[in-house]
Amino acid sequence: MRIAADRILGLALIGLAALAAFNASQFEVMFSYEPVGPKAFPILLAAILAGLSLVLVFRPGENGEWPDKHVALRLLAVLAVLLVYAMLFTRLGFLITTVVTVLFLARLFEAPWKKAWLAGVLMSVGSYYLFTLGLGISLPTGYWLPKFN
Amino acid sequence: MFDFLIHGFDVALTPLNLGLAFMGALLGTLFGALPGIGPINGIAILMPLAYTLGLPAESALILLAGVYTGAEYGGRMSSILLNVPGDAGAVMTTLDGHPLAKKGLAGPALGLSAVSSFVGATVAILGLTLFAPLLAEVAVLFGPAEFFGLMVFAFASMSVMMGNDPVKTGIGAVLGVLVAMIGVDSGTGVMRYTLDMPELYDGVDFVVMIIGLFAISEILLMLEHAHSKKAEDEMPPVGRVMVHMKEIMYCKWAMLRSSIIGFIVGVLPGTGASVASAVAYTTEKRLSDKDNTFGTGDMRGLAAPEAGNNAAAVGSFVPMLTLGIPGSGTTAVLLGALMLYNITPGPMMFTERPEVAGGLIASLYIGNIVLLLLNLPLAGLFAKVLTIPRWALVPGIAILAFVGVFQLHSSLTAIYMMLVIGVLGFALRKLGFSLAPIILGYVLGGLMEDNLRRALSISGGDLGILLQSGISIGLWFAAGLLLIAPLIMTKLRPSKALTHT
Repeated sequence: MRIAADRILGLALIGLAALAAFNASQFEVMFSYEPVGPKAFPILLAAILAGLSLVLVFRPGENGEWPDKHVALRLLAVLAVLLVYAMLFTRLGFLITTVVTVLFLARLFEAPWKKAWLAGVLMSVGSYYLFTLGLGISLPTGYWLPKFN
Repeated sequence: MFDFLIHGFDVALTPLNLGLAFMGALLGTLFGALPGIGPINGIAILMPLAYTLGLPAESALILLAGVYTGAEYGGRMSSILLNVPGDAGAVMTTLDGHPLAKKGLAGPALGLSAVSSFVGATVAILGLTLFAPLLAEVAVLFGPAEFFGLMVFAFASMSVMMGNDPVKTGIGAVLGVLVAMIGVDSGTGVMRYTLDMPELYDGVDFVVMIIGLFAISEILLMLEHAHSKKAEDEMPPVGRVMVHMKEIMYCKWAMLRSSIIGFIVGVLPGTGASVASAVAYTTEKRLSDKDNTFGTGDMRGLAAPEAGNNAAAVGSFVPMLTLGIPGSGTTAVLLGALMLYNITPGPMMFTERPEVAGGLIASLYIGNIVLLLLNLPLAGLFAKVLTIPRWALVPGIAILAFVGVFQLHSSLTAIYMMLVIGVLGFALRKLGFSLAPIILGYVLGGLMEDNLRRALSISGGDLGILLQSGISIGLWFAAGLLLIAPLIMTKLRPSKALTHT
């Protein structure tokens, strides 16, 4: 499967190189005080990338280990948790989003419910005070509750 | 000649910097011991905090360098006790370290590895003190053309030495350099690859890049190994960490030889602790393994890679401080951290910012002693860190990553960018790429282009300037040789095998 993976990757990277080179060729400079300008180096890089990717297409590496369906689903779940964490981070504030995020991450890494809840509350409150009082970092408090602290 | 060192000790011995060196050593050992968090991850996670605290450049560097050397110490714990290397530099430590632990000698093994690490680091720090200023004096003569040649050499040596697949190492480096192109071109003000996003005008933020690439991808990678091993069930008892003078004397040549090997390998750009410990181990095995005890719990087989990887960790500071070319992925991150402070490491740093160069070197002396003192009595305590379950570790990394990136500009876009980079980093790791070349490319990319353009501005566009001086010719020649050598070797090997049969 890896053999195919390396081939696909190689082709994708050649596409990326072409895109990068094309994009670079569009850079327009009004005044230039130097002989090279902003185009040359990216185009050179794109050429090297395309060359190396071509090697990958023709001589792909060995077989690798790929996650099975079960692990892949959990990978997506972890990503989803992190994404939701990011989306709600400022809206609901650090404390509440962190409790929920830690809870679900711990569950995904096979913690029992009780321990996951405990970790969520302790880590959220503990890190909140460490960051705000200890390190002077201001964290979002959210705009759904009257401000306290 | 050693003024910078005296000045450096003045800097390093202030209470703040002493405290930071101690903190760095402690945190580094902890991070190194934690499964999956090597030196780079430790630094990536702590760097934004050091930046937020408003530490001056030399203090931040002292803290982060302490984390780096500390993590090299901590990495041996899981190697010896669980047979699971914490990072690439600790792979060779498992070979004789774990058999020793299984024989019930976990305590002495931890003690001996701490002493070997100390010896390795000490030899390398002395080497750094001696050679760095000399090299800096030579490097002052370097012009843009020579620097460009040097970077080409660094990438060539990295492609050959790092990872198993030179093509993928090369691709990784080029991808890193391409990421460095993103943003407003400083020479002309042209926007390059900014996708019309204002957040990208300044380029991809260094902290976002590092945390995404290392911390986030590590979280995803850990998920796959979530139920592979339970540390509590398998850990042999540590017992009292004691090391006898007799054992140290038995290993003294192994330590010294490996320290020197490690230092030299560390100085070469692009090759870090993993190559050094492998070279040190195999050399020692060839020299002193008379009755095939290596691999079954030979003390010398533990001392060699441990002295080697710590010496290399320190050795890789030499090219970073004198030439501005990092010797390893971790020093690339440190270099990037310095650039956040608008300091470009290079030959002028010893004269222009002696408090940074000297302070760092002096703090390495101090940190090294702190590490030995911490690690002998407290190794049993640090070993407890290994039993922290992943379900507690992963959310912790996630919190640190989010807060670290968010506090930069209070921007959510940065967090999304971090997640995207993390997923890409994970995919690349799954496809057999190592991250160090990417980060080296990203850190050096801008400098590389600047030097090329400056050189060609001087010559008015004539490419000949790149090969005008003896130094440049030598560097290009060495780079070419490095790239061609493996091809010739593989061509020769089958024919050799034929003549033997």
